[in-house]
Amino acid sequence: MSTELEWITEVDDHRIKTPVLQVEDVAISYETRKGDVPAVRDVSFDILRGEAHSIVGESGCGKSTVAFGIVNFLGRNGRIVNGRILFQGQDLVGRPQEELRRIRGDRIAMVYQDPMQALNPSMRLGDQMSEVLIVHRGMEKKAAEEKCLEMLNRVYMPDAANVMRRYPHQISGGQQQRVVIAMALLNDPALLIMDEPTTALDVTVEAVVLDLIAELQRVFDTAIMYISHNLGVVARVSTKVGVMYAGEIVERATVKDVYLRPYHPYTQGLMRCVPRLGMDKRSSFLYPIPGRVPSPANLPPGCVFEPRCDYSREECRLKRPALRAIEPRHWVRCHFAEEVAQMGWEPPEEVLADLATPAEFDRTAEPILKVSRAKTYYEAPSKKLLSREKLYVKAVDDVSIEVIKGETLGIVGESGCGKSTLVKTVIGMEKPTAGEFEFMGVDISTPVSKRDLSIIRELQMVFQNPDSTLNPSFTVGMQIGRALRRFKTVPKDHVRAEVMRLLNMMKLGELYYDRLPRQLSGGEKQRVGIARAIAARPELVLCDEPVSALDVSVQAAVLNLLMEIQAELGTTMIFIAHDLSVVRFFCDHIAVMYLGQIAEIGLAEAIYSPPYHPYTEALLSAVPIPDPSVEQKSIRLSGNVPSALNPPSGCRFHTRCPRKLGDVCETAAPPCQHMTDEHRIHCHIPLEELREMEMVVSIAG
Amino acid sequence: MMTEMGALTQPSRWQKIWDSLSILWQSKVAVAGLILVLFWTLTAIFAPVVTQHEPNVEDAQARNEGPSAGHWLGTDHKGRDLWSRVAYGGRIVLVKWPVTESFWIPGGVAIWGVLIALAVGCTLGLLSGYYGGWVGEVVMRILDAMMAFPTILLYLIIIAAMGASATNVVIAITIAGSPGIARLVRGLALDIRTRDYIAAAETRGEPGLWMMFLEVLPNARGPIIIDAMLRVGYAIFSIGTLGFLGLGLPPPNPDWGSMVQAGHHHIFTNPWGVVWPTVAISSLVVGLSLLADGLREESLRYQ
Amino acid sequence: MLVRDYMTKHPLMVQPTMSIVDAQRFMGENNIRHLPIVGDGKRLLGLVTRQTLLVDPGRLGSLDVWEITRCLAGLTVQDVMVKAEHVIIVEQNATIEEAARIMVEKKIGCLLVVDDGVVTGVITEIDLLARLMEMMAARVPGVRVTVRQPNVSGELAKLVGAIAAQGWGIRALGGTPTPKDPSKWDVVVKVSNVPKDEIVAALRKVDGQEVVDVREV
Ligand SMILES: Nc1ncnc2c1ncn2[C@@H]1O[C@H](COP(=O)(O)OP(=O)(O)O)[C@@H](O)[C@H]1O
Ligand code: SF4
Ligand code: SF4
Ligand SMILES: [Mg+2]
Repeated sequence: MSTELEWITEVDDHRIKTPVLQVEDVAISYETRKGDVPAVRDVSFDILRGEAHSIVGESGCGKSTVAFGIVNFLGRNGRIVNGRILFQGQDLVGRPQEELRRIRGDRIAMVYQDPMQALNPSMRLGDQMSEVLIVHRGMEKKAAEEKCLEMLNRVYMPDAANVMRRYPHQISGGQQQRVVIAMALLNDPALLIMDEPTTALDVTVEAVVLDLIAELQRVFDTAIMYISHNLGVVARVSTKVGVMYAGEIVERATVKDVYLRPYHPYTQGLMRCVPRLGMDKRSSFLYPIPGRVPSPANLPPGCVFEPRCDYSREECRLKRPALRAIEPRHWVRCHFAEEVAQMGWEPPEEVLADLATPAEFDRTAEPILKVSRAKTYYEAPSKKLLSREKLYVKAVDDVSIEVIKGETLGIVGESGCGKSTLVKTVIGMEKPTAGEFEFMGVDISTPVSKRDLSIIRELQMVFQNPDSTLNPSFTVGMQIGRALRRFKTVPKDHVRAEVMRLLNMMKLGELYYDRLPRQLSGGEKQRVGIARAIAARPELVLCDEPVSALDVSVQAAVLNLLMEIQAELGTTMIFIAHDLSVVRFFCDHIAVMYLGQIAEIGLAEAIYSPPYHPYTEALLSAVPIPDPSVEQKSIRLSGNVPSALNPPSGCRFHTRCPRKLGDVCETAAPPCQHMTDEHRIHCHIPLEELREMEMVVSIAG
Repeated sequence: MMTEMGALTQPSRWQKIWDSLSILWQSKVAVAGLILVLFWTLTAIFAPVVTQHEPNVEDAQARNEGPSAGHWLGTDHKGRDLWSRVAYGGRIVLVKWPVTESFWIPGGVAIWGVLIALAVGCTLGLLSGYYGGWVGEVVMRILDAMMAFPTILLYLIIIAAMGASATNVVIAITIAGSPGIARLVRGLALDIRTRDYIAAAETRGEPGLWMMFLEVLPNARGPIIIDAMLRVGYAIFSIGTLGFLGLGLPPPNPDWGSMVQAGHHHIFTNPWGVVWPTVAISSLVVGLSLLADGLREESLRYQ
Repeated sequence: MLVRDYMTKHPLMVQPTMSIVDAQRFMGENNIRHLPIVGDGKRLLGLVTRQTLLVDPGRLGSLDVWEITRCLAGLTVQDVMVKAEHVIIVEQNATIEEAARIMVEKKIGCLLVVDDGVVTGVITEIDLLARLMEMMAARVPGVRVTVRQPNVSGELAKLVGAIAAQGWGIRALGGTPTPKDPSKWDVVVKVSNVPKDEIVAALRKVDGQEVVDVREV
C-alpha cells in the first residue's frame, strides 16, 4: 500500500511541484479604538500544488486572520501592512477589489467552521449550488444541476438527488459541511482554505470528512491550507504544518518532524499538554504551559513566547528571534533551538507544585449514586394538528449506572446521545419519566425545586461554555459568594474570606474578586465556574464538557485543577466529554452512550482495549491522534445518529453498525453481557467473538 | 503582561462608571443626542436661573414680538416671554411631577410614566418569559390585544375617561407602555433563560424572584434601557399631542403641547408662538432617539 | 489513459488586462512558455507565448525611443494574444494518443486542456514522454528485449504465450512498426527477476521472430 503511494508520487515527479501560494513576510493589523493591533507579523510559508499544509495554534493566535488576509476579507478595520501574497505567481496584495473577487471566485475557495456561514438558509441546496455555476461559468441550469449532483456524489452525500431539493436546515451539520465542500470544489479551485471545518462536528463525522478532504486533495490536485487548533486533526490531514503563536509562525516543517522532534519550546509544550489516547492520570501527567497568550496589542519586546518559556534568557527578552532553518526544511523561531533540543525538559518548580496526585477510591465502597432503568422523555410537538397521540423524544431510555464515592465516571458518545440529559435529570433540571434515582440513600427522582436544600448542595454542576457559565452582570466574588450564602457553607462574615480561599485554590488569586466575567479569559471563567460549583463542598460534581471549549494548554491546567480538587476534597465526579483521549486520561469508569442507552460501561482501561462494543470500536478509530507514528484502524460510521423520536428497533446501533449480525440485531434488543462484574457490553455478538477483536490503536514499531 | 499590571491597580468606582460611559463618547450620534437631551434637562431644572421673565407674566406692551434682547425668543399673543415658557414647559415632562396641587416629586411625568411602565412591563415580561407556562401565554395574549391599539389612541381614551392631570398622564403612559416593554423583556428572557449561568442558579435551587430579577433582568438591561429612551421620547411627543388636542395639563402651567395649541390660532400674526415649542418637542425627541440609536450601534459593535 | 489523468491541473493563468511587460516578466519568473489568458470563470480568452510577446519590429521602426516605451507600456496581453478560437486545445476526456497526435501534427509541445471553454489544465510533451517512460517501465530493473516479428495478427500472441508459458510476468510491452520495413513490427518486452540468458533462450524458440536487441537495465 505505502509503496504503491510512493510509486504514484514518483511518477508524478517530473512535474515540478510549483507553489500555488507563497506568503512572504506578511503582517496584518487591525485598527481598533486603542490604535493599531498587529495581529499577524512576519508570517511566511508556501503551499505546493496538491499539497495539504496546516496552520495550527490556539485561538486568537492569528490563524483566521492569515486566511482572511489571503482572500482579502479582513473587514473594514483590517489591513495587510507588509509582505507579499503570491497566488499562482501573482501578488494579491494591493490588487483592485474587482480582480481579487474574480480570483477568489474562480481559483480560491474557502470553507469555514460553521457551514451555515456559506449557505443561504432560505434557498434550496440544489439552487444555491447550481447558481455558482450559472453565474460564474454561464452554464445552462440543467447542465449546472447535473454537475452539482455529480459533485455531491463525489463527496459521498447519501441520497444526493434528494438533498438537492432540501433546505439547509433539513440536513445535519456534517452533511451541511459536505455540501459546502462540494460547493467549494465546483469551480475546481487551485487553493482551498479550510478554517476549522470539522471543529463543530462529532468525531465520527469528523473522521469521515477528513478522509473525504484527503481524497479530494488527491483527485483534484488542490492545494489545501488547513487551519485547526487540534493537533490530532492536523496529523491526519496534512503533510506539512506551521505552528502559530501570538501572530507569528514559530515552527514549520513536515508533520512528522514537528510532532516527533519539535524544536521550539512552545511546540514542545503543546505536545506535553495534550493527553495521548491511552494515557491515564495514574501513570502520567499533563504539563500545562503556564501563563497565557499575550494580546497582540501588548507583545513582549523580544521573543513573543519569552514570558512563558522555560528556557528564556536575557537575549530572549531583548532580541526578537527570526524564523531560521535549523535543518533542511525545518524552520524554528528561537534563539536557542539547538540547545533546547539537547537539554531535555524538566518540569519547572511551579508546574510541579501544581501537579496533583489523583485521588484513590475504594472500589468496594457502596455506590453514592444509583440510577436504574432511568428514562427521560421530552414531549415533542405533534406534527399532526389534531392528533391526540403524543410523541416523545426518548433522550434517555433505560439507563442504569452506579457511581462509587470518590471516583470519576466518564460519559462519552456522539452529540445527541443523551449524555447531558442524563446528567440534567440527576441534578433535577429535567424530570425523569421513569426509573429510580438514589443519591446518598435519598430518592432524587424529583426536580430540583422540590428537593431539600441539603441534597441540592451535595449535587453541583460545571458547564461547558465558558462564555455563558458566569452571569455577566456580577463580579466573580459575588457569584462565588452567592453559593456560599445560599447553602450557608460558612457564617456570613466569613464569606469573603472563603471566596478568597477558593480563588487561591483555583490559582486565580484574590485580585479576581472584583473582576467582571468579561475581563477574564476562557480558562479563568471556567475556573470561577468550578469554584462556584465546589463552594458548597458538594459530594458529587457533574461536569458537562468542562474543557471542550478551552485551548489545549489551558485544558491541561483545568484538568489538573479538577484532579487536585478531587484529591483534596474526595469529590465524586461525572465527567462528560467528546474527546476520548481526555476521558481516558481523567476517568476511572467510562460509560459509552448511544441514542439514549448505554452501549458499554466499565473501567477505563477495559473500554479502550478489546473486547469492544462495535460502537466503541468505531469511536476509537475516529479519534484524531496527534502522533504520526500511531497505527489506527479505519472504521467509519455512515450517516448520523438517528432521531431519538423514533429510535431503530432492536439494537439502536444497527443502522450504522459495521459488525451487524443480521436480522437479530434489528428485531431483538441486545443482551447485556458481562465481561467482568464491572464491564458490560450490550451487543448480540457472542463474548468469545468480541474478545477476538483487534486493538484499534497501536503504536507502531 | 498588561493584564497583570491591571490586576495590581484595582480601578476605582468612578473609573468604572467612566469606563461604562466611555462607550457613549465613541458614537458621534450618541453624543449629539446626549447634548440635546442634556440641554433641555438642564434648562428645565435651572429654568428660574436661565430666564429673565416669569413664564405666566403677561406684558401687554409686548405682544406678538419677535426675538429681541429683551425677549430672546420673542413673546406670545398675551405678551408672555416665550423662552421662559419653553424652559418652564420642559419641567413637567422632565423634572417635576405634581402628584397633587401642592405635592410634587422630582422627575417629570414622561420619566415617571416610563419608569412605572418599566416596572410593570418587566415583571409581566419576566413572568411569561422565564416561567412560561399557560399563565405567561394568557398574559401575553392580553397584552398583545392591547398593543393592537395605536398608542396615541390609548392615551386619548385614557385621558378622556379620567380627565387631564399630571398623574393621569403618568397612568396613561404606564398603561400604553407596559405591553411593549413586556413583549421585549419576554423575548430577552426567553433567550437568556437558555444560558448556562441560569442553569447554574437553578441547580442551586434559587427562588423564582431571585431568578427573574437578579439572574435574568440585569442581563437584559442594555436593550431595555435603549427601548426606555425611545419610550420617553414617545411619551413627550404624545403629551405634546394631547396638549395640542386640548387634553394637556391644566393651565396656566406652560406645557409645550398646549403652547402650540394656543399659538396656532395666531400663527399668521406670530409664528414664534408655534415654532419654539415645536422645536423644543422635536429636538428633545430627536435627541433621545439619537442617543438610543448611538448606544445601540455601539453596544452591538462591542458585544 | 486519458488527458485528465496526466495533465497538470491548475495551470498559471492571468487576466487579459495584464501589460505585456508584466506578462513577459511573469513567464520568465515562473519559467513557462504558454500563458492562458482567462476571463470570468476561468474562460479561455486567448493564449500568449514568448513569440507573441515579441513586438513586431516593423511596427516600432517608425517610432522614437519615448514612443516605443509608451507604446509598450500601454499594450496589454489581450492586444497581442492568440484569440481563443485559434488556440489549439484538447479536452480532458481525450486519450493521450489523441493529445500526442495533435501535438505532432501541429508541431507544438504544449496543449491547453479546455472543457466547455473553461481552462482545466495543460498537458505538455514532457507529460507524454513520462507516459512513454512508464509504459516501457523505464525505472524498473529487468531485461529489455526487442523482438522483430511479421506484421500479422497472432504473432504478438505467440510471443506473449512463450513468456507466459515460463511463468514470467511481463513488466512492460510496446510495439512500433519496424523503421523502413512496413511488413515487420518491433516489439519491446520487459521482464524482471529472470536471468537474461534464460529469456533470450526462450524467445529464440518463437519461430518466425527474431531477437534484435537485448539489454539489462
Ligand atoms: N475584526 C477584528 N478587530 C480587531 N481585532 C481582531 C479582529 N479579528 C481578530 N482580531 C484579533 O486578532 C487576533 C487573531 O485573531 P484570529 O485570526 O481570529 O485568531 P485564530 O483564528 O487563531 O483564533 C486576536 O487577538 C483577535 O482578537
Ligand atoms: S527565543 Fe528564548 S524565550 Fe523564545 S522560545 Fe527560544 S528560548 Fe524561549
Ligand atoms: S447488537 Fe448487532 S447491531 Fe448492535 S452493536 Fe451488536 S452487532 Fe451491532
Ligand atoms: Mg479562528
